[in-house]
Amino acid sequence: MRAALIIAAKDLKVELRSKEMLSAMFLFSLLIVLAFRFGFSNAVNSGAVGLPELASSALWICFSFAAILGMYTSFAKEKDRETLDGLLLAPVDRSDLYLGKALSNLIVVFFVDLLSIAFFALFFSFDYGGQALAVVALALLGSVTLVLVGTLVAAISVNTRAREALLPILLIPLIAFSVIVPSVTATKNAMVGGIGDSVQQIESVAAFAAIFAVLGYLTFDFVLEG
Amino acid sequence: MRMDRKKLGTILVVVSVVLILMTVYLAVFFAPLPQTGVKSAGEILSSVEGSKLKVAGFVSAVYSIHFGMLDGPDEVIFSLADFRDYGRYLQANATHSLNQQWWTVRPIDIKSISGGLNPRMGPNLGGVIVVGANLSMDGIVTSNTIAPNSNVTGFSLSSGSGNDITFGSVGSFGLMTAPVAQKIFYFHMPSAWACYLSFGVTLVGSALFLRTRDHKYDRVAYSSAEIGIVFATIAITTGPVWARQEWGVYWRWDDMKLVTTFVLWLVYIGYLSLRAAISEPSAKARVSAVYGILSFITVPMSFLSSRVAPLLQSSHPQVIATSSGSLSPQAGMTIGIAVVAFTVLFITMLIKRVEIAEAEEELEELKRKIGDEE
Repeated sequence: MRAALIIAAKDLKVELRSKEMLSAMFLFSLLIVLAFRFGFSNAVNSGAVGLPELASSALWICFSFAAILGMYTSFAKEKDRETLDGLLLAPVDRSDLYLGKALSNLIVVFFVDLLSIAFFALFFSFDYGGQALAVVALALLGSVTLVLVGTLVAAISVNTRAREALLPILLIPLIAFSVIVPSVTATKNAMVGGIGDSVQQIESVAAFAAIFAVLGYLTFDFVLEG
Repeated sequence: MRMDRKKLGTILVVVSVVLILMTVYLAVFFAPLPQTGVKSAGEILSSVEGSKLKVAGFVSAVYSIHFGMLDGPDEVIFSLADFRDYGRYLQANATHSLNQQWWTVRPIDIKSISGGLNPRMGPNLGGVIVVGANLSMDGIVTSNTIAPNSNVTGFSLSSGSGNDITFGSVGSFGLMTAPVAQKIFYFHMPSAWACYLSFGVTLVGSALFLRTRDHKYDRVAYSSAEIGIVFATIAITTGPVWARQEWGVYWRWDDMKLVTTFVLWLVYIGYLSLRAAISEPSAKARVSAVYGILSFITVPMSFLSSRVAPLLQSSHPQVIATSSGSLSPQAGMTIGIAVVAFTVLFITMLIKRVEIAEAEEELEELKRKIGDEE
């Protein structure tokens, strides 16, 4: 566990020095929210789409894609600079490596989530109306699940030829019903005032987090071997 | 030993062909079309007296009627049809393609006292019934004044706050026979079963490979995944053929069973893409085994989606959702044989596919040897 924390700290330190991933993800989430602003401007202005409905979907699309970008980079960077071999040679359990990577990814992804939530309020003049905390909490919960499965799948895809194309192909179907659908519903419920209506959705996301954590912990070893 | 295996393969091919032909024969000539969809008032009355009913759909017509006593209040009757999509209903109505289809031909009439509409009838109604509005109501069947199976005129559903919902005359919702496309069920459900089974074998094969590092398990795992995709494709293409007849549309994005099965299909397509993107054989086997294990979580998601529906917001077209009707004995026998047929077919295909995989690897090996000698 201590090893996991050290690896996460190392990743974050590298990230804070280069700010590569953060700046890319920052721009990316900014642009996705902007794309929604432009793409849905008629629908929003005419009132055909309610803002809570749009916000919950737009935010989760933004979170998912930004997370995919971030998690991909976290492994691709190590692979390209050949630091992955060094990391694998380190006398730590591979499962700790998984937890450490997941933790550092989570911190970066969650930071970008917060930015996206703010961008949405800014560009759509949307008032979370006291529910901002609930939205943030749901973003954190969903991101935990997302990162737990994403870290494993990113490590899988980094071994392949078409790695940047492959990660979304492998990951999006897996997170569709484990993260996106329940989180969108829960976020929408929270925005219209009733996070209490989403107990089942929250439980479901948390259950998938547990499943993915166990699977990742047990199988990560095999992914990075050799 | 090899000879024996070949013989076994031939026998299995013959057996699966015979079983599939038997299924076709039974499905076409033996199994009757179930009387589904709409039940008669008498039937519902005798079977669900006192039980809970849920009615859901959109309002296809509203009219006001004055019954009985001259000074009595007007009553509003509205017809509920199940499509959840009023635009599609209008379109189907305009093209006269509503014949013999789900509820829309013979909608339920729901009667209500005018002026006193139950606010529970829909959040957006605000006391006014709007044509096209979605409605859903729960209630308990209370009327038992009419003898079961007699020529009853209706029964009422107590909605809990005074306004009873009255279902119209027997004529307005009599027994309906399922469309002939229902026969595709005998191929749809077994192929879904076979695809779950194949992906289960992929899971076991992947886990065994990681444990033993024996490539024969990897061969079984990916062969099974390929076959599973074939069966999944059959399942998600035969479904819409039936759905077009029964629901009026090919696909419903609001139905979780359909969507989760589609995602299941995508995940295993991803599994094959992953294999195609790695060239080194042992890395390919190792990495795809991990993904093969991970992918399996979509199988229970798809399988259970119609059971744990509330979690996933399923809205299967059930205007009256009572306990599901059981199959007739003939239909039960046909589906039983169909499941056996598809299971045997899966085993046959798996054995053949693994043989091909072995031959491919042998060929690679030989090519390498020739390369070394030169």
